[in-house]
Amino acid sequence: MHTRPLTSIGVAAVIVSVLFLFRPTQVTVAQQTSEAALKTPWGEPDLQGIWTDESDTPLQRSPRYAKQEFFTEAQRAELDKERAALLGRDKRVERGTELDVAGAYNSVFMMLKHTGTRTSLIVDPPDGRIPSLTPEAQQRAAAEKQFRLALLQATETCKTESVACSGGKYDPTPSPRFSELSSRYNTARMNRHNGPEDGSLMDRCLTGGLPEFGTAYGGSFRRIVQTPGGIAMYYDVGQGQGWQRNIVMNGSPHLPAIIRQWFGDSRGHWEGNTLVIDVTNFSPKTDFLGSREKLHLVERWTRTGPKTLEYAVTIEDPTVWTRPWTVKEEFTKQSEQENKIYYEPRCVEGNYALPSVMLSARMADRAFAEGRGPDPAKSDNATDFVGVEEDPLQ
Amino acid sequence: MRGRFSRSMFTVAFAAAAASAAISVSIARTSGQTPAAPAARPGRVAGKPNFSGIWQANNEANWDLQAHAALPGAVTQPGIFPYDYARVPAAPVLALGAAGAVPGSLGVVQGDGQIPYKPEALLVKKGNAEHWIDRDPELKCYLPGIPRAMYMPYPFQITQSTDKIHMAYEFSNTARTIHLDKVAGPPDDTWMGHSVGHWDGDTLVVDVTNFNDRSWFDRAGNFHSDALHLVERFTLMSPDIIQYEVTIEDPKVFTRPWRIAMPLYRRVEPNMQLLEFRCNEFVEEFMYGGLRKQQLVKHWEGETMSIDITRKVPPGDRFYDWYGGK
Repeated sequence: MHTRPLTSIGVAAVIVSVLFLFRPTQVTVAQQTSEAALKTPWGEPDLQGIWTDESDTPLQRSPRYAKQEFFTEAQRAELDKERAALLGRDKRVERGTELDVAGAYNSVFMMLKHTGTRTSLIVDPPDGRIPSLTPEAQQRAAAEKQFRLALLQATETCKTESVACSGGKYDPTPSPRFSELSSRYNTARMNRHNGPEDGSLMDRCLTGGLPEFGTAYGGSFRRIVQTPGGIAMYYDVGQGQGWQRNIVMNGSPHLPAIIRQWFGDSRGHWEGNTLVIDVTNFSPKTDFLGSREKLHLVERWTRTGPKTLEYAVTIEDPTVWTRPWTVKEEFTKQSEQENKIYYEPRCVEGNYALPSVMLSARMADRAFAEGRGPDPAKSDNATDFVGVEEDPLQ
Repeated sequence: MRGRFSRSMFTVAFAAAAASAAISVSIARTSGQTPAAPAARPGRVAGKPNFSGIWQANNEANWDLQAHAALPGAVTQPGIFPYDYARVPAAPVLALGAAGAVPGSLGVVQGDGQIPYKPEALLVKKGNAEHWIDRDPELKCYLPGIPRAMYMPYPFQITQSTDKIHMAYEFSNTARTIHLDKVAGPPDDTWMGHSVGHWDGDTLVVDVTNFNDRSWFDRAGNFHSDALHLVERFTLMSPDIIQYEVTIEDPKVFTRPWRIAMPLYRRVEPNMQLLEFRCNEFVEEFMYGGLRKQQLVKHWEGETMSIDITRKVPPGDRFYDWYGGK
């Protein structure tokens, strides 16, 4: 629900006017010396440690910076100033309204980091934007959106033309679509809580996965531990959505197609100093911007210095995007001694929210049936309100 | 399945011990599995025994750490005779037949086999056993805790480096990192504990603290408090067997420290890898089924669950059809 960088899809594509230049790959003597130190005792590139991206970079480039791959120093300073001010300016909507009650988050929960150097995490296509969706993916997305809007049509949200209803319209009669299933396995929140499957994957503690670009709520850390011929990772992301990866490094082919996993199947090999991991076999219950079981990732992990690791991932799904695209992040090594990576609690052990939402839905059903309460189809129990102003970076 | 693997298990074990890639390749071929070269791991990492690989206990400790006879069901009810040994499977497991029963065991508790509960704690343990379905965190897919994660019937993977030894568990997709270097502990109590290791010769000794009081030791209701302190010892007995011993201390629950011990076995199949067991999805029906608008499996009256099992055996699958009746 708050996958920060991933929300602003659909803005008009921007014509590229700046060439994307790869940095020249001259290796100085000093670099060679430090490279030797960045090997494990058994001679493999050393990727070990706790890593995170210490700056904020939007996934997609804003049209405002269409002609820039990098921010200027002045722009970064200005953005940092504007963004820091957000933290002191919590918003509330009108008190006593449904939306106000749904406002569980304000800036106390936010993790704003300094503005990064790049104007987008996406480095390919060179315009820094997610490639356009295929016609079938557009159709699917539109159908899913219409379904969600139908469940909101009789609520205040649509009556007041709130942003959550954009694309839909108010109709005082609840939609007959309340009795329908969504067109495919549901992964996002809807204004119906008939069972767990109506909840979002986040509400069900089923998020966390690949690719992982962090959120403003809880950060994005990964610990890497290596052994000769083996690599383990543990991700600490969001609020308790931790999970582990064990990279299969023996050159064997991917899992059989019948085995589908939430975190996919990761098979790695070394290309020089770069760990290349091919990830497939995703479950049809996962959803990354509309991509499900056909999602294919190629990750490239390269230690670039004592404190730095470059991560690049190429994302491909021909049923969703018209071309593959690539995201690049620079991770910074975190203090081993401070050990600030948390494997738990992991959401499910304290998930009182999911049963509470269902229980209150059943109470509302009963009250309505007994003439004690309003038609539940006329209240919005899906839209949440985040009491933080729009981040100018996003 | 097991019989089919036995030969390749032996040969692959041999391959793992041998360093030659050529041997590994030829053995992978004869095993009839995907011809992926089994990872030829060095015998030692930074001078210490290399525990890296995928391991699994092969015992009944997750049912009950203590010696116990086999039981007709994981949940039982009184039968016709009023004896404990004459109980019958109860409704939650009845439809599973022998697959719902509990295998016996000589137990893994060392010494006299007793768990030295304080009297009041023993009452809690007995209550836990009676209310197993309601109380065992495993059934809710909560974090398993240590030592239970080590002997649940799921594999786990060790990735051993110089300063860190990482253990990733298939059950519930959890993990712990054993720190051989000095690091800060967690800011709060944890399910999986804070693991700090050192080497005693070729034995890895791990001190585990910072527990909460939520995890259990097994399905028999054996439990601990937040004062739990473990000392684990890992010793490689052969390339494919770790002797695993734990001293368990918890002055709030036990009158003295006690010890469990068991072997852990390498999963030597050449195509072995950890798969996912993301069970929090699997238990949604168990935990929240009563809150559905239209219930699927169970019926609830308030917080009382009734499971209706209508199991009509079709002609041809009746048990006497099986014996030449077709």
